[in-house]
Amino acid sequence: MRVSDKMAFNQVSSSVSKNRTELHDLQNQAATQKKINKPSDDPLSTARLLGIRTEDRTNQQWQKNINTAKSFLEFTDQSLGQLSDGLVRAKELAISQANDASSNSQSREVTASEIEQLYNQAIQVGNRKLGDRYLFGGFQTQNAPFDIQGNYKGDDGDLKIQIQKDAFVAMNIPGDRVFLGRGLGDDGIIRPQAVTPENTQDMIQYKNDEFQRLERNKEQEENSNIEVRGPASSGSGRVRKSRFYQSDSTSDVVGINVLQVLKDLEVALRTDDKDSIQESMDELDQAISQVILARSQVGARVMILNSTLEGLQKAVIDNKQAASQLEDADAFQVVSDINKTDSTLQATLATSGKLIQKSLMDFLR
Amino acid sequence: MSKVSAMMGTSAGALKNAQTSLQTVAHNIANKNVEGASRQRVEQMTNPSVGQGNLRIGTGARAAQVTRITNPHIDKQIQREGMTQGFIDSRADGLSRVEQVFNEQNTKGINQYVTDFFNSFRELSNNPESLTSRTMVRETAEAMVTDFHRVHDQLTGIQGDINTQVKAHVEQINQFTKEIASLNEKIQAIEMQGVPANDERDRRDLLLKKLNEKINISVAESKDGLVAITAGQNAILVSGLSSMELKALKLPDQDKYNIFYSNSENTIQTDVTKQMKGGQIGGSLSIRDEVIEGLLDNMNEMAFTLADKVNEAHIEGFDRNGREGSDFFAGVQDTKDAAKNLKVSFDILNDVSKICAGVHPNAPGDNTVANIISGLQYKPIMSQGEATIDDFYSSNVGQVGILAQRAIKSQEAQKNIVAQLDKIRESISGISLDEETTKMIEFQKAYDASARMIKTADEMLDTVLNLKRM
Repeated sequence: MRVSDKMAFNQVSSSVSKNRTELHDLQNQAATQKKINKPSDDPLSTARLLGIRTEDRTNQQWQKNINTAKSFLEFTDQSLGQLSDGLVRAKELAISQANDASSNSQSREVTASEIEQLYNQAIQVGNRKLGDRYLFGGFQTQNAPFDIQGNYKGDDGDLKIQIQKDAFVAMNIPGDRVFLGRGLGDDGIIRPQAVTPENTQDMIQYKNDEFQRLERNKEQEENSNIEVRGPASSGSGRVRKSRFYQSDSTSDVVGINVLQVLKDLEVALRTDDKDSIQESMDELDQAISQVILARSQVGARVMILNSTLEGLQKAVIDNKQAASQLEDADAFQVVSDINKTDSTLQATLATSGKLIQKSLMDFLR
Repeated sequence: MSKVSAMMGTSAGALKNAQTSLQTVAHNIANKNVEGASRQRVEQMTNPSVGQGNLRIGTGARAAQVTRITNPHIDKQIQREGMTQGFIDSRADGLSRVEQVFNEQNTKGINQYVTDFFNSFRELSNNPESLTSRTMVRETAEAMVTDFHRVHDQLTGIQGDINTQVKAHVEQINQFTKEIASLNEKIQAIEMQGVPANDERDRRDLLLKKLNEKINISVAESKDGLVAITAGQNAILVSGLSSMELKALKLPDQDKYNIFYSNSENTIQTDVTKQMKGGQIGGSLSIRDEVIEGLLDNMNEMAFTLADKVNEAHIEGFDRNGREGSDFFAGVQDTKDAAKNLKVSFDILNDVSKICAGVHPNAPGDNTVANIISGLQYKPIMSQGEATIDDFYSSNVGQVGILAQRAIKSQEAQKNIVAQLDKIRESISGISLDEETTKMIEFQKAYDASARMIKTADEMLDTVLNLKRM
């Protein structure tokens, strides 16, 4: 083939530039330690990487959510533990003061003061805060849910925390349930539904349902005995005295006003009313089991959180690994490629030098 | 019978021939680095011999023609492939800029900002009472909106650059066609005398190649050596000795240059933009009018849908002070320019307590709305319920990546094709110093020998003239 000068020069410049481009790309990979530096390097992996990163960030957010819920639930559990300890202590005191053999009106007077303290402690537990949020106020997290008379100022809202795609866990137990036993027995109060609305249409429906439910509950409460929410002025702590032993058809639970029970016991002790003291022992049992039931719910939720957290932690590692496989450069491969390309470039330059240097002119005198 | 004077004449002719050839060698060497120049050769022909009885005596040689050495087919092929290369080059350039807009390998982009936005609502859901988490929602929403603006501005910025390029290309095309028309005239004038117009043709071939790189043209050469050039389907740029101009003009309601053509000063300008499908102009236009427009449409759809769905849920809620919810995002009524106009509503920017977290009035702990909004990330709300926002966006990025990858790969392939053709052309027409040096020596020797011949003839004449003295 006839080789013109331009061919030789073109050849040199194109081979050198090709080698340089290759070396540049490899050096970029070595510097970033990534084999994908722009979408066109590997379009499909880039799209997948975006997905993985989103998932990773969301997983981390869920871990945060779970930790928030966990601390809320754990503090709730601890508080309920104190409440049930108080109730157990009240039961002991009631037993000791129920007959004349081990007690008298004087000792009952003294015990009454202790029960009053236990009552105050229960109120105090009901007004526990985590950070600036009350544990037992339902949605009303900014105001103390209980006043000293035992009136409930909160609502029955569940603070639903998202722990995974489409999975929610309520991180609170509303005070009206665990303290007042509201809606647990057959008192006609409807508690909020457990399902969480999934989209805006569901939510609008839910909003209307909630509005109606709350209206109906309000009506129901106005019609029924005032003592359900009333202070310890009169009557017993049972939610509806006439139906005391009629338990909820689905669960064997009867709602009871824990605070009222304590209040009643105190009154009974002060008035030396042994029958009422006897009666409050049964009621205390009910109260204790109501608190224990709530605690077991809390425990179950914490278990769900823990297992979800474990899964998420594993997913985070899996994601990191998947992302790394897609985008990280194989350091050894890159370095050895650089060496290879570099020696190719050297060879190109060396031969190019020879190719350009000489022409016939150099040999003519 | 031979004559000494004839011998002298023959040698003088040979001397002249050698000189012409040497001059051509000089011309070749001088044009060695001129783009598009082909090597030229002097074609020498034997002179008719003279009959002298039984003898036919040669009378030397003459320089018949100076020709250039080319292969017209290769030239045509180079021109055609040059058009493809121009197209692919400008597409690859444009796409590698476009893909940088969506490159999240090393920097934050829409994907991450959108995730941050939804995560801020998850954080709000964890703690709807807190001003901190409310402020975070506002800040991440602002950051996301700003990034939508960034993407929009960068994409329209590339369109603006392409506009400038198109205008510059059109100006160059007009220069080229003008020069080609005047070369047409020269070539016709020269070749009418039966002499090939070597240098003019070299130049015209080069201009045709450059014109092809810019725009899709078809070229036809008539018998008298004139080329006619048509761009697209019917924009006649060069016909005979005259050239017509293309014009880059802005449409009244648009910010971009379209290409117009009119075949004389008086007739109406017709928009031929859609016919320009090749060369750098074709590539640039396809990026500007198809790729970027499509991406802008997608970004607008995404911005609008996101704002619309968030607003739809947000408006159902109640804010921190128990008031009815309002729009979270503002500025978008439909998809038109949504990515550019999207903003966080003024009320929320001013007062984060206006962010609605719950559906119960006066329930500071209620997070139902926040849960719904953060859940939007996983709902198929894009493309008529086919894709989630994340899917929609990452498939968008994937598509840009694929387009860019394909363009870069075919750019590489096309480069090789053109380089190969260039090599063949150079192999035929290119100038080699070694060769020219050899020719130089060859013709110099011929010149030397012819001169010696004249000297010999001179001596012969001398001998004859001195006969008497001897």
